[in-house]
Amino acid sequence: MSERPMTSRSGAIRFHDAGIVYPNGVVGMKDLDLEIQPGEFVVIVGSSGAGKSTLLRAINGLNTLTSGRVEINGEALNTGSTRQLRRVRKNIGMIFQDFRLVKRLSVMSNVLIGRLAHVPAWRSMLGLWPREDREIAADALKRVGITDKAWVKASQLSGGQQQRVGIARALAQQPAIILADEPVASLDPVTTHQIMRDLVRINRELGITTLVNLHFLDLAREYGDRIIGLRFGELVYDGSARTVTDEDFRDIYGRDLTADDVVEDEAVEGGEGGGE
Amino acid sequence: MIPARPSPNWPLWIGVVGFLAAMTVWSAYGIGFSASELACNIAGGTRLLEESWPPDFGFLPRLAGPMMETVYIAIIGTVVGGILAIPVAVLAARNLTPNRPTWFVDRNFMNILRTLPDLFWAMLFATAVGFGPVAGALALTVFTVAVISKLYSESLESIDMGLPEAIRAAGGNWLQMIQFGALPQAMQQYVSYALYAFELNIRASVVLGLVGAGGIGMILETQRANFEYERVTMIILAVLVAVLIIEEISESIRKRLT
Ligand SMILES: Nc1ncnc2c1ncn2[C@@H]1O[C@H](COP(=O)(O)OP(=O)(O)OP(=O)(O)O)[C@@H](O)[C@H]1O
Ligand SMILES: [Mg+2]
Repeated sequence: MSERPMTSRSGAIRFHDAGIVYPNGVVGMKDLDLEIQPGEFVVIVGSSGAGKSTLLRAINGLNTLTSGRVEINGEALNTGSTRQLRRVRKNIGMIFQDFRLVKRLSVMSNVLIGRLAHVPAWRSMLGLWPREDREIAADALKRVGITDKAWVKASQLSGGQQQRVGIARALAQQPAIILADEPVASLDPVTTHQIMRDLVRINRELGITTLVNLHFLDLAREYGDRIIGLRFGELVYDGSARTVTDEDFRDIYGRDLTADDVVEDEAVEGGEGGGE
Repeated sequence: MIPARPSPNWPLWIGVVGFLAAMTVWSAYGIGFSASELACNIAGGTRLLEESWPPDFGFLPRLAGPMMETVYIAIIGTVVGGILAIPVAVLAARNLTPNRPTWFVDRNFMNILRTLPDLFWAMLFATAVGFGPVAGALALTVFTVAVISKLYSESLESIDMGLPEAIRAAGGNWLQMIQFGALPQAMQQYVSYALYAFELNIRASVVLGLVGAGGIGMILETQRANFEYERVTMIILAVLVAVLIIEEISESIRKRLT
């Protein structure tokens, strides 16, 4: 099969003075100024409720800013405009902790959902996917190494395999940006490392800007280029994963580190890009 | 150790039972029910029963056609109504409806459908398209929408909204969110409700025939009017067997689903 570029546009993200106050008064994001360059691999850490999901979901408009603005490739996001929202989302893949697959459909059908915004709606709804889109979906499956599962029902896969389908679905969008909200939180340690390696490899191979929420510090250190720390919706750390210290993590978390903050299984140390 | 069982609330129970008994007696009085009259009429009833036996098996071959018509009416009503019930249910589900006014209008529409009985719809459509199977099928279509939409919209309200959100996040529009994110999650319930509606429709189809909507019910009414009681018995037996078989099949499919 021909190697096709999985992405065409660059994925720059920029928050200006951004804030989110939820209707119940909870501050999910506060005075955020943040710039992410195309192709970066950013890990976001912070304790539960720190605002990690809030930040990711503001990028694709699942959350609406209540102050300030966020720009995707220099274009300010306006969640009031359904049209712009769909156009922006077309370009942003999202991966979830709970996979969010259509369980009763095949892996292939699930990956094709990544093409929804790229084909006329009637084609997707009648299942008449153009050949090109089916090839893009097949290519995405190949990149996560589960081509052989294409016609298996999603419900019959293991957690790790389901998450790979989730990644393939995001890849099928040929996105400039991938948002992964705790993609490994419901996986075992071995699978966790495999999935993290997949994400890093895809980031390297395709230059897709990747933001990953994690709550395991060793994973953040091992796989991140840049680490962003949040606390009560505020940016409290922004630096390289090479130089981050335990002290920094203590500041981000506002408490001492415990065994629960790391994936203990160190048996699967492996180089990046090796997981195919 | 289990703590001592609290004693039942006797006054409440006596009150409830007393109330129900009083209501029943009052209602019986209201419709002019009297035990002595019933006793006198038993003689007439017995005569009727004697005339109705044995069933006229010779009449059986002539029932196949009308019976099939009854089933056709039920099938059309279930399939068309089952399809129409989907949008009605989706728009009435709080978590899926595009906006509040739509929800409000659709929900009230749904409730009105549910309030009116199938016979009402049969009369209405009979006036519009004349008495016959078409009016019956139309009536059962509306009846099916009424039966399925409420149950289905409640199932849809209890789905996990994570998947619809993921469809949205991938750039899907509202319809795609419904098709790929919402409907698959309540698919089993939907099929189960549709089969249930089919069972109801078979029975309703017989009854609608009595008022002229065609099928086996219509034959039943003609034979009764001609005092052909042995044929009436035959028809009732045939209906009984057919309904039992269909319900058995439908139920076994529904069981397999869950
Ligand atoms: N839809 C919402 N309505 C009201 N409050 C919300 C909503 N979503 C999140 N919050 C609140 O905003 C804060 C940040 O939530 P967020 O989900 O972004 O945290 P998180 O860092 O992703 O946490 P976790 O690690 O538990 O996923 C929390 O206090 C949370 O309770
Ligand atoms: Mg979260």
